[in-house]
Amino acid sequence: MKRVLGRIAGMIPVLLGVTLLIFILLRVVPGDPVSILLGEHYSQETIDRLTRVMDLDKPLIQQFFSYVGNAVRGNLGESYTMKRPVTTLILQAFPSTVKLALMAAAIAWVIGILAGIIAAVRQNKLLDHLFMGMSLAGVSVPIFMTSLFLQYVLSFKLKLFPLTSDGRLISLILPAIALGWNSAGSIARMTRSGLIDVMQQDYIDTAKAKGLTKASVILKHALKNSMLPVVTMMAIQLSSMMSGAVITESIFSIPGIGRLATSAIQNRDMPLLQGTVLFTTIIVIIGNLAADLLYSVLDPRIRRAV
Amino acid sequence: MRLKSVITTILAAALVLGSAVPAAADGEKILKLGWNKDIQTMDVHKTTDNYAIPLSIFDRLLEVQLNDDGSTELVNSIANEYSISDDGLVYSFTLRDDVKFSDGTPLTSADVEATFTRMFTLEDSVQTDFTTCIKGAQDILDGKTDQLEGIQVKDDLNFDIVLETPFAGFLSVLATPTCCIMSKANLEDAGSDFGLVPEKTIGSGAYMVKEWVTNDSMTLVRNPYYWGEPGSADEVHIKVYPEAASMNMAFQTGDIDILDCDFIDAAILESTYKTAYADQIVSVNRLGTYFFMMNTKVEPMQDLKVRKAIQMAIDRQSILDSIFGGAGVLVDGLYPAGSIGFTDENQGWLKYDPEGAKALLAEAGYADGFDLELAADSSASENRMNILQIAQQNLQDVGINAHIESYDESSWLAKRKSGEMSCFTSPWTLDYNDPSNLIDTFFGSPEATKGRSINYEDTDVMARVAAASSIVDEDERLAEYAALEKKIVEEDAAVLPLFSLQHQYVISDRVEHFTPHWAGYSDFNVYGVTMK
Repeated sequence: MKRVLGRIAGMIPVLLGVTLLIFILLRVVPGDPVSILLGEHYSQETIDRLTRVMDLDKPLIQQFFSYVGNAVRGNLGESYTMKRPVTTLILQAFPSTVKLALMAAAIAWVIGILAGIIAAVRQNKLLDHLFMGMSLAGVSVPIFMTSLFLQYVLSFKLKLFPLTSDGRLISLILPAIALGWNSAGSIARMTRSGLIDVMQQDYIDTAKAKGLTKASVILKHALKNSMLPVVTMMAIQLSSMMSGAVITESIFSIPGIGRLATSAIQNRDMPLLQGTVLFTTIIVIIGNLAADLLYSVLDPRIRRAV
Repeated sequence: MRLKSVITTILAAALVLGSAVPAAADGEKILKLGWNKDIQTMDVHKTTDNYAIPLSIFDRLLEVQLNDDGSTELVNSIANEYSISDDGLVYSFTLRDDVKFSDGTPLTSADVEATFTRMFTLEDSVQTDFTTCIKGAQDILDGKTDQLEGIQVKDDLNFDIVLETPFAGFLSVLATPTCCIMSKANLEDAGSDFGLVPEKTIGSGAYMVKEWVTNDSMTLVRNPYYWGEPGSADEVHIKVYPEAASMNMAFQTGDIDILDCDFIDAAILESTYKTAYADQIVSVNRLGTYFFMMNTKVEPMQDLKVRKAIQMAIDRQSILDSIFGGAGVLVDGLYPAGSIGFTDENQGWLKYDPEGAKALLAEAGYADGFDLELAADSSASENRMNILQIAQQNLQDVGINAHIESYDESSWLAKRKSGEMSCFTSPWTLDYNDPSNLIDTFFGSPEATKGRSINYEDTDVMARVAAASSIVDEDERLAEYAALEKKIVEEDAAVLPLFSLQHQYVISDRVEHFTPHWAGYSDFNVYGVTMK
């Protein structure tokens, strides 16, 4: 518990640093949000008025501390373009991202672990080469290509799935596969190499000598001990997916965090971009913390060390 | 037993997986639309981005009618009749007596007054530039008062709008989305929810918003109290497709009824839609002009001969044909083809003549050419980059070493606003159908011309531009605008007008008729769609 609290306290400087970094970055790049907001319609008088209303005429240091002060109270400001509180926009978008991330993670984990186990057991055989070839493709083929391919073949041509998200779970299957396949490739490769290492340990020979079945040896003894790095990767992948899958969300029209961030970048919507970056940073930090905790659950030596 | 439970599980899963989209009732006409991004707000006073929903849920006093021959005219909407005083300062309106908001309350002069007053009192209003001619508007903007002197209510149906100075384009301004009439009671009741929450955004237009999922979808239904013929579609379902490829497939699978060709690749338009859907393409004049801009302060474009050489060097027809499939017409003046102010007399003075361009450059002392930056907005459509690429090649052909520099949107806008951008291409779609809209924006003052990175220097011409909008006699006013156009484009070569484009849409076989919005931008009133 002490360690958990320590890690949570450690989040504060990270969040402050990220906030400061994004705050400075958004203000040193050329261009201003008022120009974006007004588009082709403006007079200097209108520009000056909006600059004042949006507090952009205040000194930067004042803007920063005002932002941090409000953020601590849960107020991330109002989106320049969407005219709503940033917190509301994030909370509206997050469920879509969570649904997609959980489905993608489930697909990645089930397929990745199974493929990794089979490839390890059938090392250097046909299935091993097949699964590792597929996992290599999963890791190396860009997500936008996978997404467009699945959309074109399974939705547009074969009409097996909706083309884009329509609120039904079935419409999330293709984007989840597109997003999950990439992660499944990494998990499969890591599971395979971990399992092959463990299978060469003495205690596995002992287990076999006790007369346990092969399945029992693999699932009860080898797999658990080979999963430590895989679990870390799974937690990091999940937190990464939870912070928004920009490309997948765009292609399948899913109104998630990734789309919100893209729109904020395009419109130089500083409060919205700062809010989404801050939010995704928190998600990633929580993901890493969860990975650490899971690590200690799976490996008692780490728990004792803590 | 086991099989039964498996079947039950599958059925339950199918129910859960496919349970969120309601099916259309028999015979219900549902219009399905796709946009590349969501609207920002339904409150037109707070956005300049997308007016599609405000156009459909609010009414204006007047409307611009797009005729079958491509011409446009002003027609009455919720204003039943109007008159203008001889000095061009007082516009007297009478409202229809049967106009009601979607909550059943009548629309009266008080609502008109509240709408225009809010336009100037709302601290983050972005829609003040075309209406500050109303008497007292500037006083509100200057913080001197919160009452708009120029709106004078006589009774529930009659009111006057008094201008500070005559502005002949004012009627056209009243037909723009800027001047959507809102409900006074609704504005007071909704507060900051106005424009964001469907049930707190009341209009008198043909449709009202039933549901809005931000960044995803929107559903419109008919306004039961609409004063005109009910809209053809029972419901309108709008879905956001950020990816052009997805939108393209969505049209072909029947998920979209009207595909705006602005949102798809020109090559796909040519290869797929102009062959397989040739009978379903709707084209209208786009009341806008594409320009190639030249900064008259950047060396060596201070020299008239150099600017004229650039006008002669760029092959506009080739650009129109190769990038837009010839869907448009070359224009030699400022005003878009089909708009008020466009004249046939002011056409034909710009010719593609690379040899003539070389000769002029030699006369100006630039026989060996010079370096020239063409600034590209990286977030703009691919077509704009393609225009610059052809222009770059044309300019290189006459010895000008043109190179393209890309900027992100806000940097591009900031550089242009600073008056330091050398050359660029940009379309201007009319906000209101009057020559003053374009010429005032580009040449109305030293600030305006600097803000467009033109830096035109003839202050006499700028004074004439500023004065032209006050000319009360319509013929005299239009003649002055034509003379100014000739002076700026032909004599001073301050810009190179390229062309006015056609706006193309592909409609599904469920749509019987579709009238796009007159302005030619992608936002349209769904009332203009008739379903089979």
